Amino acid sequence: MLYIIGLGLGDEKDITLRGLEAVKSCDALFLEAYTSILPGISRIKLGEFYGKEIIEADRGLVETKAEELILERAKKETVGFLVVGDPFGRATTHSDIVVRARHMNINVEVIHNASIMNAIGVCGLQLYNFGMTVSIVFFTETWRPDSFYEKIEKNRKAGFHTLCLLDIKVKEPTMRAMMKGVEEYHPPRFMSVNTCIEQLLEVEENKKQNVYNGSTLCVGLARVGTSTQKIVSGTMKELLDVDFGEPLHSFIICSDEIHEMEKEYLEFYKVE
Amino acid sequence: MVNFTIDQLRAIMDDQAQIRNMSVIAHVDHGKSTLTDSLVAAAGIIATAKAGDQRFTDTRQDEQDRCITIKSTSISLYYEKENATKYLINLIDSPGHVDFSSEVTAALRVTDGALVVIDCVEGVCVQTETVLRQALQERIVPVLMINKLDRAILELQLQQEDAYNTFSKAIESANVIISTYKDPVMADMMVYPNKGTVCFGSGLHGWAFTLTRFAAIYSKKFGTSEDKLMQKLWGDNYFDGKKWTSRNDDNKLKRGFCQFILDPIYKMFNAIMNDKFEDMDKMMAAMDIKLSPEERSGLKQKKLLKAVMQKFLPAAEALLEMIVLHLPSPKKAQSYRYETLYNGPIDDIFAQGVKNCDPKAALLLYVSKMVPTNDKGRFYAFGRVFSGVVRTGQKVRIMGPRYEPGKKDDLTIKNVQRTVIMMGRYTEAVDDVPCGNVVGLVGIDQYLVKSGTLTDEEAKDCCPLKDMKYSVSPVVRVAVEPKNAGDLPKLVEGLKRLAKSDPLVLITTEESGEHIVAGAGELHLEICLKDLQEDFTGIELKISDPVVSFRETITNNVETLAMSKSPNKHNRLYMTAEPIQEELVLEIENGKVTPKDEAKARGKYLSEEYGWDVDQARKIWTFGPDTQGPNVVVDATKAVQYLNEIKDSVVAAFQWATKEGVLCDENMRGIRYNVMDVVLHTDAIHRGGGQIIPTARRCFYAAQLMNEPKLQEPIFLVEIQAPEDVLGGIYSVMNKRRGVMIASDQRPGTPLYNVKCHLPVNESFGFTADLRSNTGGKAFPQCVFDHWATMNGSALEKGKQNELVLATRKRKGLKVDIPSLDEYLDKL
Repeated sequence: MLYIIGLGLGDEKDITLRGLEAVKSCDALFLEAYTSILPGISRIKLGEFYGKEIIEADRGLVETKAEELILERAKKETVGFLVVGDPFGRATTHSDIVVRARHMNINVEVIHNASIMNAIGVCGLQLYNFGMTVSIVFFTETWRPDSFYEKIEKNRKAGFHTLCLLDIKVKEPTMRAMMKGVEEYHPPRFMSVNTCIEQLLEVEENKKQNVYNGSTLCVGLARVGTSTQKIVSGTMKELLDVDFGEPLHSFIICSDEIHEMEKEYLEFYKVE
Repeated sequence: MVNFTIDQLRAIMDDQAQIRNMSVIAHVDHGKSTLTDSLVAAAGIIATAKAGDQRFTDTRQDEQDRCITIKSTSISLYYEKENATKYLINLIDSPGHVDFSSEVTAALRVTDGALVVIDCVEGVCVQTETVLRQALQERIVPVLMINKLDRAILELQLQQEDAYNTFSKAIESANVIISTYKDPVMADMMVYPNKGTVCFGSGLHGWAFTLTRFAAIYSKKFGTSEDKLMQKLWGDNYFDGKKWTSRNDDNKLKRGFCQFILDPIYKMFNAIMNDKFEDMDKMMAAMDIKLSPEERSGLKQKKLLKAVMQKFLPAAEALLEMIVLHLPSPKKAQSYRYETLYNGPIDDIFAQGVKNCDPKAALLLYVSKMVPTNDKGRFYAFGRVFSGVVRTGQKVRIMGPRYEPGKKDDLTIKNVQRTVIMMGRYTEAVDDVPCGNVVGLVGIDQYLVKSGTLTDEEAKDCCPLKDMKYSVSPVVRVAVEPKNAGDLPKLVEGLKRLAKSDPLVLITTEESGEHIVAGAGELHLEICLKDLQEDFTGIELKISDPVVSFRETITNNVETLAMSKSPNKHNRLYMTAEPIQEELVLEIENGKVTPKDEAKARGKYLSEEYGWDVDQARKIWTFGPDTQGPNVVVDATKAVQYLNEIKDSVVAAFQWATKEGVLCDENMRGIRYNVMDVVLHTDAIHRGGGQIIPTARRCFYAAQLMNEPKLQEPIFLVEIQAPEDVLGGIYSVMNKRRGVMIASDQRPGTPLYNVKCHLPVNESFGFTADLRSNTGGKAFPQCVFDHWATMNGSALEKGKQNELVLATRKRKGLKVDIPSLDEYLDKL
């Protein structure tokens, strides 16, 4: 039996009641620890709360060793796979594990929870009005993927808001690690709203299709769903200098055809 | 006594028209260092009587012991002629053994002209050809010295006409090589005796002449101008007693060269060697040669011959005249060399500074090699000032070979502690050195590994000068470790110094922690290891048997599709691999087809010359390893979205994969990968480097394994000169070592044979000694890396090749077996 359990966005108490019951029934628990993090809570603390040991499942484990370490166990025992947010909320990363489990005839049960994909409703923009979600990845000297630009363009032409998920690199292997199969990681990095805006403006500067600009209305969000959450709305230029604090950050580029209700709501968060 | 002062030397460094920077280059044992002695003696640094015996520029003890030049040595020579014209000759004597070719490369870079020395008996040999080619590529002007005439006369007893033919053939062979390097920017670089660009003589006995010298002697007698007479003294020109003619139908006449030049020399030789002192005195009186009483009464035979000939035809005079008249001044040379030297826009101020050899322009100085100082472990950075002036105490920008304009890698700003003039066995400190000269720098050796470019501290836009390209590769390697494990830090430090001291030697560390020293050949390695042990570490070393580097290639031409999935399974790469034709591989390796070519032009070339699909030929993503190796990855996809966003990851993986192939982590060679199709996740975050790089690597390896991977081994071209009676011994040694004979010719007019063979480097260890013992010491081989040969048999199944693969894996500390295909190939 394999439970895939959403933990929500805040802290250890955000798990659903059904989720908690499932956790209690598990013989082994894995915490997926590379596509997201729970702000302000560690794997150890979570384990103490559940009264169980939790095994950290990093990228290497999930992507290359899931079969032997997680799935083989789930054939005989009850295994819980804990995911920050909702199992299918943000990333498509976990669909692969479900596919493989089904191939191995393992029962899979998914227990949902809040995800950034719905929690952004907190800023007042209506989920109905969102278009395609895009990820903004850290630019490197040679790798500056900008395919999100076309998606934002499509969204804005259709009058949709765009949710931008910002890059997180929790356990990013180094080049040597990828080539040599040794354990070696870059230090963790989380993209801030500010970096995101810089990169967005750089791409606009290059492409010059006027999809958005410094005075486009946007919303920056940090640590959504926690007690320290911070939401600020304003133009891209205005938000460029706002300090959003600790990770995780998200970003929304608003449609120009913003609804009156949405506008009113955003006023609460207006930049000072 | 040295007949000049440092002040005189420094003063003339500003007078560019009076400077010549030149290298002496030749095949091993053709007499470079011996000849150089004459020039050194003429500057008063050594006694004339000792010239030819001392080999002043062979500064190392082992050079003297072995009678072979190992390191190139620079010396600045100052001459003041009778008419008060002064000259500065910055001369670099270079090694002739192929194993030390990189020293020649480093010497050529900082000089503008080359004195090519050819043994008149042996003619143009393999290394003559190699160094001459290198010189021409660098736009270095050659002049020729036909050396060892004493051998032709005394040892081989060549008749005058035969001697002429032998000389003529040597000159012709040199010109054949020169003519293949037609460079539109350069004037005719071929050498002609009747233009004064060929000198004849004997370095050992300190005499030499150009036709100019004899034209001057006979001009009055004939009442013809020297220029006209010079034309008559070479080629088919005969004097019938009244007039010059080009016909010699009944072979009764002697050609001008023999009658007027060789004849008096032969007569003098004859008189002295047969102790006919009366004849000798008569001739000496006629030619106004005066010996000191001690010389006249105390010397006999060859020693007397040397004393007489040195006075009759002093070598230094003839050479100096040829050098000064026919080699370019730095200003002239830089006006055409600047565009091949500078790595940036050729119209920027730095390029122009080099072009005009402008002392007022920004400093541009190329460090071509490191020369050990007396202070163990420290080095002079030796190089050439191409523009500006380098001063003691000056702050300079040091750009290493990996520096790219605008970036900070391999860039240091430091002070030059001292500037010195290199004088062979010693140095002289000066305050500054202006452009057009060579110089040694103290205090910057830690910031450069082997070579680099220096400029002014504030010259941020300055591009570096092009790094040198060597004609030899470090294909022979050994592993070294200290006998006493506690000495490891000393070894590591020593290896760093060794890397500096030699332009070519390659120091690497294997995965297993083994320290590898790689050199061009057995002798090169031997010298490097000796230096490492005696000079750079002072500890006892354990040295492994030599091993060679291999290349990994594929031989299957049938299209087989490899597919690999990314770790998150959302991305898939499909690739094929095919061999690249050897001709094209060579063109890439020789820099004829490069990553810097304009894509369209290169595409056209590849499709026309090698039948590539034009569209694909334009879409070469990269070369590898190190972005310029002889492997390529081609985008053969059709209309795939987001492809350009994974290109960077594929390219990065390609550099690693081609550097460390699947068989045994050796470089790949001659593999073309085609990216046929890709399936990508819609969002950039799920197809970043972490997903694509390992996947691309696996796909490259899968495709390599699926297409009959093979090893290529390095092959030496071996040239041996030996008398006929030992040819059998040579054949039997070659047979034992998988050698293949490719040519065996008798040298006209000599009993010597010129044998050429191909010999696997892997079989070459102990070859020289083996050959000597099988030929009674009469055969001396020169081995130079020639090509890579694909080995017979399979790399994956039991056999010789597989053994080599597994042995290499073991040595490198890799997993014992070659990885199986399913580690890299995924199924749908």
